Amino acid sequence: MELNDANLQTLTEFLRKTLDPDPTVRRPAEKFLESVEGNQNYPLFLLTLLEKCQDNVIRVCAAVTFKNYIKRNWRIVEDEPNKVSDPDRTAIKANIINLMLSSPEQIQKQLSDAISIIGREDFPQKWPDLLTEMVTRFRSGDFHIINGVLRTAHSLFKRYRHEFKSNELWSEIKLVLDTFALPLTELFKATIELCQTHATDINALKVLFSSLTLISKLFYSLNFQDLPEFFEDNMETWMTNFHGLLTLDNKLLQTDDEEEAGLLELLKSQICDNAALYAQKYDEEFQPYLPRFVTAIWNLLVSTGQEVKYDLLVSNAIQFLASVCERPHYKHLFEDQNTLTSICEKVIVPNMEFRSADEEAFEDNSEEYIRRDLEGSDIDTRRRAACDLVRGLCKFFEGPVTAIFSGYVNSMLGEYAKNPGENWKHKDAAIYLVTSLASKAQTQKHGITQANELVNLNEFFVNHILSDLKSSNVNEFPVLKADAIKYVMIFRSQLPKEQLLQAVPLLISHLQAESTVEHTYAAHALERLFTMRGSSNTTLITPAEMAPFTEQLLNNLFKALALPGSAENEYIMKAIMRSFSLLQEAIVPYIPTLIGQLTHKLLLVSKNPSKPHFNHYLFESLCLSVRITCKANPTTVSSFEEALFPVFTEILQNDVQEFLPYVFQVMSLLLEIHSNSIPSSYMALFPHLLQPVLWERTGNIPPLVRLLQAYLQKGGASIAGSAADKIPGLLGVFQKLIASKANDHQGFYLLNSIIEDMPPESITQYRKQIFILLFQRLQSSKTTKFIKSFLVFINLYCVKYGAIALQEIFDSIQPKMFGMVLEKIIIPEVQKVSGPVEKKICAVGITKVLTECPAMMDTEYTKLWTPLLQALIGLFELPEDDSIPDDEHFIDIEDAPGYQTAFSQLAFAGKKEHDPIGDAVGNPKILLAQSLHKLSTACPGRVPSMLSTSLNAEALQFLQGYLQAATVQLV
Amino acid sequence: MFPYIFIGLSQAEKSTMPTKNVVEERISKFKNKGKDPAKLREKRISVCVELRKAHKDESFLKRRNITLSSLPDEEALDYISNDMVAVLPLDEIIKDVNSDCKESQTRGCQAARKLLSQERNPPMKEIIDAGLLSRFVSFLGMDDEPTLQFEAAWALTNIASGTTWHTQQVVEHGAVPAFIALLASPMLHISEQAVWALGNIAGDGAAYRDILIECNVIPALLARICPDTPVGYLRNLTWTLSNLCRNKNPFPPLSAVMQVLPSLIQLLHLGDKDILSDACWAISYLSDGDNDRIDVVVKTGIVSRLVELMSHEELSVMTPALRSIGNIVSGSDLQTQAAVDAGVLKVLPQLMRHSKASVQKEATWALSNIAAGPCRQIQQLITCGLLPPLVEQLRNGDFKTQREAVWAVTNFTSGGTVEQVVHLVQSGALEAIINLLQVKDTKVILVILDAINNIFMAAEKLGETEKLSLLVEELGGLDRIEMLQNHDNETVYQAARTLIEKYFSDDDVVGVKVDSTDDSFVFKTSDVQRTFEF
Repeated sequence: MELNDANLQTLTEFLRKTLDPDPTVRRPAEKFLESVEGNQNYPLFLLTLLEKCQDNVIRVCAAVTFKNYIKRNWRIVEDEPNKVSDPDRTAIKANIINLMLSSPEQIQKQLSDAISIIGREDFPQKWPDLLTEMVTRFRSGDFHIINGVLRTAHSLFKRYRHEFKSNELWSEIKLVLDTFALPLTELFKATIELCQTHATDINALKVLFSSLTLISKLFYSLNFQDLPEFFEDNMETWMTNFHGLLTLDNKLLQTDDEEEAGLLELLKSQICDNAALYAQKYDEEFQPYLPRFVTAIWNLLVSTGQEVKYDLLVSNAIQFLASVCERPHYKHLFEDQNTLTSICEKVIVPNMEFRSADEEAFEDNSEEYIRRDLEGSDIDTRRRAACDLVRGLCKFFEGPVTAIFSGYVNSMLGEYAKNPGENWKHKDAAIYLVTSLASKAQTQKHGITQANELVNLNEFFVNHILSDLKSSNVNEFPVLKADAIKYVMIFRSQLPKEQLLQAVPLLISHLQAESTVEHTYAAHALERLFTMRGSSNTTLITPAEMAPFTEQLLNNLFKALALPGSAENEYIMKAIMRSFSLLQEAIVPYIPTLIGQLTHKLLLVSKNPSKPHFNHYLFESLCLSVRITCKANPTTVSSFEEALFPVFTEILQNDVQEFLPYVFQVMSLLLEIHSNSIPSSYMALFPHLLQPVLWERTGNIPPLVRLLQAYLQKGGASIAGSAADKIPGLLGVFQKLIASKANDHQGFYLLNSIIEDMPPESITQYRKQIFILLFQRLQSSKTTKFIKSFLVFINLYCVKYGAIALQEIFDSIQPKMFGMVLEKIIIPEVQKVSGPVEKKICAVGITKVLTECPAMMDTEYTKLWTPLLQALIGLFELPEDDSIPDDEHFIDIEDAPGYQTAFSQLAFAGKKEHDPIGDAVGNPKILLAQSLHKLSTACPGRVPSMLSTSLNAEALQFLQGYLQAATVQLV
Repeated sequence: MFPYIFIGLSQAEKSTMPTKNVVEERISKFKNKGKDPAKLREKRISVCVELRKAHKDESFLKRRNITLSSLPDEEALDYISNDMVAVLPLDEIIKDVNSDCKESQTRGCQAARKLLSQERNPPMKEIIDAGLLSRFVSFLGMDDEPTLQFEAAWALTNIASGTTWHTQQVVEHGAVPAFIALLASPMLHISEQAVWALGNIAGDGAAYRDILIECNVIPALLARICPDTPVGYLRNLTWTLSNLCRNKNPFPPLSAVMQVLPSLIQLLHLGDKDILSDACWAISYLSDGDNDRIDVVVKTGIVSRLVELMSHEELSVMTPALRSIGNIVSGSDLQTQAAVDAGVLKVLPQLMRHSKASVQKEATWALSNIAAGPCRQIQQLITCGLLPPLVEQLRNGDFKTQREAVWAVTNFTSGGTVEQVVHLVQSGALEAIINLLQVKDTKVILVILDAINNIFMAAEKLGETEKLSLLVEELGGLDRIEMLQNHDNETVYQAARTLIEKYFSDDDVVGVKVDSTDDSFVFKTSDVQRTFEF
């Protein structure tokens, strides 16, 4: 494309069309531009337009298009063509700085971004004059230009803050320092002087303070990796000026805005970061300056207001103090009683106050409030920073700090007592203070696990918390109520049981509070209390102790779900689940009512599942209802089916994907309760369960396998009878699953059930194919997990169909196959089988091969007899071999058979451990002894001779132990 | 749950002295990998870019002669101290030096020497530009004019103490062979001046060092060591030897090292602190290399003496002794064992608690390298009580020391047995490294995440993963790791995310394709029947 007016005109038109709201105009224009962007001069057109076009809209559009073009095309990817011609690259680099600096702000920002993208690729090697060009502008005296340069420099250098040290990186930084550090320092000094000369000119000050903020940010980037020699030598200049700026106030720069941080705040905030960086990393060099900064920052904190716009500054400043006060050699800066008192009084207490912004969140944005207050996403808040400072100070001054705060707590509580209606926030702050002072370690599971021994938590509870909990009007002072509930919740491990028991009915009544935060906290607190462990692995609070409150608890929990804003409140639903689990049979009388409410809820949420946790606990609660009720009376299962199946059908038909795994699990649970046959309602569903589309979703696989297993267990015979045409489809699922390294164990679960529960004749025709598939997989991808499952399966097969059947089917596929599998797989790998049931299956199976398979005695397989016996004894006696070959680290491997914690796994739908051998074999070692005895009597002399020739001494000794225990002798 | 197998960065490097830089991004896999103890050790890499000021506590590269350390021999009575030398303007000096009159030459040399000895801004360039160097060098050969010889040597010594350019001028005017010849001067003070000048030239860098070695400077120097050599002379000589051992890229030739070592060992058994200091520095340079270089030092049997010197009351001796041992334990397991056998672990605790931060840092660096060894060395480290000072450093140390201490923890956790790792956690190391997750150093953060992952792997073996998850949460670690999921550095973000996914949450996996119709999968075996072979 030639750079001429006609082409410029065309391009302008197309650019204009890309802004058209009508997609039929816009899209083709965008397409066209993309199609020509590979042409030489294209970027130069854009630059020309953004510089010279009369129409400001087109100028901005050209700037944005240019930036995006650079973003897409500038990087040279190896083995791919260079997408920007070299002359264009050179021309862009030669002009862009000038253009950026002379453009109005909107365009400047785009070009500055483009420069940093180019810089990331080309700087410094391929853009050697960039720095000098930038530095030259420092002398222009025009701060609009200077700020443009500073902004660009910031976007080029900020990566120094997070990249790893490398020679390449450090060479670049060194180069930057060599050219940039001195001019930057000069500029810094000059800017500060100008601030003094222009102290009354608000417009000048604004520009100058933006420069200072940018300079401070650059300082941070350039000093991040290590302390550069230049900055060490010029520390006096920088730190003195930083210190000066921290203490500076200029009325003109104060803003009226309450939310948005002003220039002064941004600058001071960055200076706090810079000081924190030096204090942390360059302590030795920074030591002389540190005390001054501590004083300045603390004065800053004392004089800064409560407005939201100061939040970042205050939080950074407090974090600085928190990090310094923990260091032993700065202890002396804080240890004076007056200092401590003043930090506590003027820095910590004010920042713990409940502000109007908090109050708004409490009322109108309860979800966000709960997330911050309960789940700890309060990282950058003032309260959190103040808490961290309390903890930092407690490292050396726990006693004095506790004493000072006790005074404060008392006086704040006194204020509250004088006029609760007016002064309730004082009590809130007092509780917060006690909490932050007392908590030393905390987890979600147990609440506070370590507390400050100097704080009497129980006394505080009795004197100040209980009264709020007992208050007859649950809707009065909701913030204080929420504080009280939270107190019980987080200090639950510290409070004596009788206090907790006293709190339980009070918490139950708070479930009725109108405030979302309050009733949510009540539900959460109850849920946490119910999970506490007492002695001997029972719950701390027993169902008997709950008996007087059961009805009210259940009532209030379900009523709370009807409160505005809590229709899908996960804390309440979790509390319902936990209550069911705790109360067990005590809930049975209520179930008929409750199940209706739960299914109704399920129907509602299935229209649009949006709260995964809520839904999960809902299904858990359903499972608990089923289990607890049917445990007492299995025949009630049909009433659950009646209640649930209509909703389930709707979920299945509408393919509510999130819920399918849950539905399958609940159905498994229900089906497993049936005593023997499969109800027809289930049979109708069976063919649908084999649909590939269901199996393509990984979350469905474990619950579907389990459901199919339940079908087979309850109705293997009826499937073989009435649905024999579905058997290939069932085996197809097995084939699908064993093709995946991640799911092959699920395929084996299914296969094991088929072998165990289907009438043998119904699968006779498929057996050979099944084994061929397994061997093919073994050949192509032999992973440890697969081998473990494979071993369990063939031994189960042997137990079920006999050793001869196993040997014959192997050898029918390929001559000598049985020997190969014994030698290459069973003998060397059986040690890896894990799980007591799995090991037992293998032991019994191998015993059968050893003692009930003539081919083992009379053919060339005989040489494997002793090694196999030795492997079996090893399986009994040696520790499990858990080694995994090197190349398997990359596959997804399950730690143990049986699926555990996929998110949708319902804990209360849990499957009972199934032992296909069961009581038929009590002790497999005895079985081995008896079977060997039987074999030896059938062919006298042979067994002892095989043992004596090649069984190792240790194994022989173990074997003799088994024989003795079984009181048999080999002949 | 289907846990993702954790693949991440495991830089269990032999960490570097913070004064130097290392290029060491070794990617290896977690689980049972990356535990090859030989690979856990890495050394300082010689090519490095420095942002910091050059270090202050190391011995000087070059020294200018301002006043004589030892007075000239009795017979050199015509030595005139600086105070007595007349101050001459430069043009007169030039005239004098260029004259043919011995007396003028001597006077000019003396005046030049005085100018060059002044504390501030000695006019080196002016003297060089005046073309006086070739004159000075020619005076070096005048054995019958010892005073002139001496003054010229002194002037040249001071010029050689300047920048590389200054030294280059001296060398290019042929001073090297002249000075080496002068070593044999019967006049001790002249010989000493030559020692000094050669030390300055050697200190300039590897190139001149090797030129000196090629000119056989070493035998000439060693020939001057005998029982009655005065201490002052020996100090200078040891310093020059140390400069001949100094610098990498390339290292001094091995043959030269072998020549110097026996004498260095001899010097290391003397009592003078300056001699000991420079001899230790020499050993530290020689041991600052690959394992072959370390081997040469270890084989001399000097390790136990070095360990002894680590307790020397003089900082100037203890520092290079510690550095040498630090270098040696960055070597192979066997080399490290030599230092362990010599009792280094008994000395390190007191050095880790030394009042000087730089000593703490170097001692911790050494510890981190011992912790990279096999578990029996780790066991010795525990037995000798190194864990308490390590945890103290993690908690309260200077940042540079904390960084080394973090490396020690990561190395320890990747090579230690489960019991050893448990011991480490019980000593408070886990809490301390969690606190350090907020440091402003990306690499340190990554190394800590690595350590936490290692500790989890130990917990897995004990079946106590859940317990550890709770402990980490209790110590505030979960909050910090969650925050790191917002880190700008991709690798840190990944490592944090993987830890969270693996130990603090659950996740799913993806499957594979098999033939199917709408209703069901097709159960069939492939037509081509191959022979199975497992």
